[in-house]
Amino acid sequence: MHNILLIAKREYLERIRTKAFIVATILIPTLMAGGIFGTAYIADKSKSNSHIAIVSSMQPLTTDLQNELEHGKDSSMVVDVVPPSPEIRSELDAKIREKSREKGIDGYLWITPATSSDPTARPTFDYTARSSADIVTSTAITDALRLVLLREQLAHSGLQPANIDTLMAPVEVNTVDAGGQRGSSRNSFYVAYVLFLLMYMVVLLYGMNVARSIIEEKNSRIFEVLLSTIRAEDILAGKIIGVGGVGITQVIVWILAAFLITASPLAAHIAGATTMATISATQGIFFIIYFALGYVLYSSVAAALGAMTNSEQELQQLNMFLMMPLFFCLMMLPVITSNPNSPLARLVSLIPFCTPLLMNFRVSLSMPQPWEIALSVLLMIATIYAVLWVASRIYRVGILMYGKKPSLPEILRWLKYS
Amino acid sequence: MPIVELQHVRKAYDTKIAVADLSFRIEPGSMFGLLGPNGSGKTSTIRMMIGITVPDSGTVAIFGQPFTRTSLHRVGYLPEERGLYKKMKVMDQLIFLGQLHGLDAATASKRAHIWCEKMEITDAVLKKTEELSKGMQQKIQFIAALLHEPELIIMDEPFSGLDPVNAILLMDTLVDLRNQGRTILFSTHRMDQVEKLCDNICLIHNGHVVLSGAMREIKSRYPANRVAINFEGDASFLNHSSIESAKNYSGRAEIKLRDGADPQALLADAVTRARITRFEVMEPTLEDIFIEKVTAEYGEVNSGSEVDA
Repeated sequence: MHNILLIAKREYLERIRTKAFIVATILIPTLMAGGIFGTAYIADKSKSNSHIAIVSSMQPLTTDLQNELEHGKDSSMVVDVVPPSPEIRSELDAKIREKSREKGIDGYLWITPATSSDPTARPTFDYTARSSADIVTSTAITDALRLVLLREQLAHSGLQPANIDTLMAPVEVNTVDAGGQRGSSRNSFYVAYVLFLLMYMVVLLYGMNVARSIIEEKNSRIFEVLLSTIRAEDILAGKIIGVGGVGITQVIVWILAAFLITASPLAAHIAGATTMATISATQGIFFIIYFALGYVLYSSVAAALGAMTNSEQELQQLNMFLMMPLFFCLMMLPVITSNPNSPLARLVSLIPFCTPLLMNFRVSLSMPQPWEIALSVLLMIATIYAVLWVASRIYRVGILMYGKKPSLPEILRWLKYS
Repeated sequence: MPIVELQHVRKAYDTKIAVADLSFRIEPGSMFGLLGPNGSGKTSTIRMMIGITVPDSGTVAIFGQPFTRTSLHRVGYLPEERGLYKKMKVMDQLIFLGQLHGLDAATASKRAHIWCEKMEITDAVLKKTEELSKGMQQKIQFIAALLHEPELIIMDEPFSGLDPVNAILLMDTLVDLRNQGRTILFSTHRMDQVEKLCDNICLIHNGHVVLSGAMREIKSRYPANRVAINFEGDASFLNHSSIESAKNYSGRAEIKLRDGADPQALLADAVTRARITRFEVMEPTLEDIFIEKVTAEYGEVNSGSEVDA
């Protein structure tokens, strides 16, 4: 145990002191915050703020439309209303061609009243734009028109304006879990997704680091000194713990940063309540359990890969063994999202290589049966033990076989070697 | 009680037999040289002594007991291929390796400083390993193998890659350690280096023992039948009847005499034909003995394979 800790401590301290670690630890939350605030800001700015003119004499439609476009949910345009006249079209065309944005306009909407006497007949709308690619503005106009026309029709059929507002208010659905706790379904989905990506990233990143650190040791030939004092299993375990500690440190920093960012009043102010995805205690605990187990499992596989190869390039060729289960998990995500408790979802989340990602995902979506969780943890521990056993054998022999790539029969022979 | 005892040790990798039936023992407080050309099985033998690999058959005993990992704390090992953590500072590295051998950090640090001073690398202790020259790195690893004051010191090619000054510094250090009662085993393919250093040797070739025993005893087994002559002028004295074989390096002749031949007669003949500036009768060097032995054995091996065919 003493030796394992020594190896782990060295691995941890050496890694934490590197510039790469410090940069990644600080940069990722900065990018994360930048991303969240940036999207919120862009979403705010992407509201259409064009300057257009409406040529119409129809009332109250024109005023309503102007109102909707100027102060509506998705647009904050500047709208001029001009009565139709024979010379106005050429005047507006000239304004569209105007180069200066101050004096010119971005487009004009020509409303021609319906000719038939049918009360449901709609007027014709012709929109002339400076740029036909300005989809944001034309979509905003279309949406606003539909809304205004709907209101008009409702009013026409005798509804009170207050009732119309109630009718048109957006609907919100709360999902309530079995314990009666109220939560937003979108929220828990986002949390699950974020946890999934975080785990995916860290497992891949730090699992590969274990492999790299073994290759590094092979290239510097230090392992021969190590092996002359301590057992291969101790080196392996120390490496996994040390490199894992670095991964966990980084994740903790990131999660703390995420809390600070989402909890800051600024975030609430800019992004509104929709980004306030918070992680519940249960989710946190399961994340830590599955993260730790998943990390150990993937690291042992990576350690075996590292012991089999002599260079970073060779590792690249083999790292698909590490990636494949992760990609498989990614492919299974839609299955679990649509029905977290379907037989297929249950089955795949019990595969030890998928458990850390998929079972954890299921936990955040809807709590699986306790026996499923117990079984998944048990299966994982058994697999970790098996992989570690195999990995330490490959490590011990493979580490002394340098200069040539092992063939499959050779690897099988290593397993028999004690 | 011998410190190390190998009995009929054999190790084969895939198609190659690295060590075939090797036995020797190392007495406490002696300097033991494991000699042989490149690829003769020296490193394979050493790796089996420290438990990195396991012999296919035969036994390895250290400190009078069958090999166990716990005895490794009493062994200091310098591998043939030097390895240190490149990015780590020298002192941190020495402390880490000392701790792996069971020292506490304070003791490791204290001893490391003393050793660095002794090996004249005090300036380097705060640098990263990758900033140092190869020779410096080798000295650091040499220190790392000795920090825990091992009773048995095993060094695989300790002098390779060192300049003469540093090689002598290392040799002197090893002699000091032997005089303090430590047992030292080292391997080398440079046989000339070990003649004055070793008490006992084992000379191996292709995994087989060619020669083994106490240095003095081996030397005495081979009579002084080598003659070195530096001369000017006629070289025809090299055809003298007492000469079994001779090599003439333009003015310097290396001669092997026939058994029982008298060098005096050769000298008398030589002075009549050429001007002699040096005439020395010597014992054969280890290298000479090795070449003689191996050539003899190769003959046997060849005839054997012909019979097989």
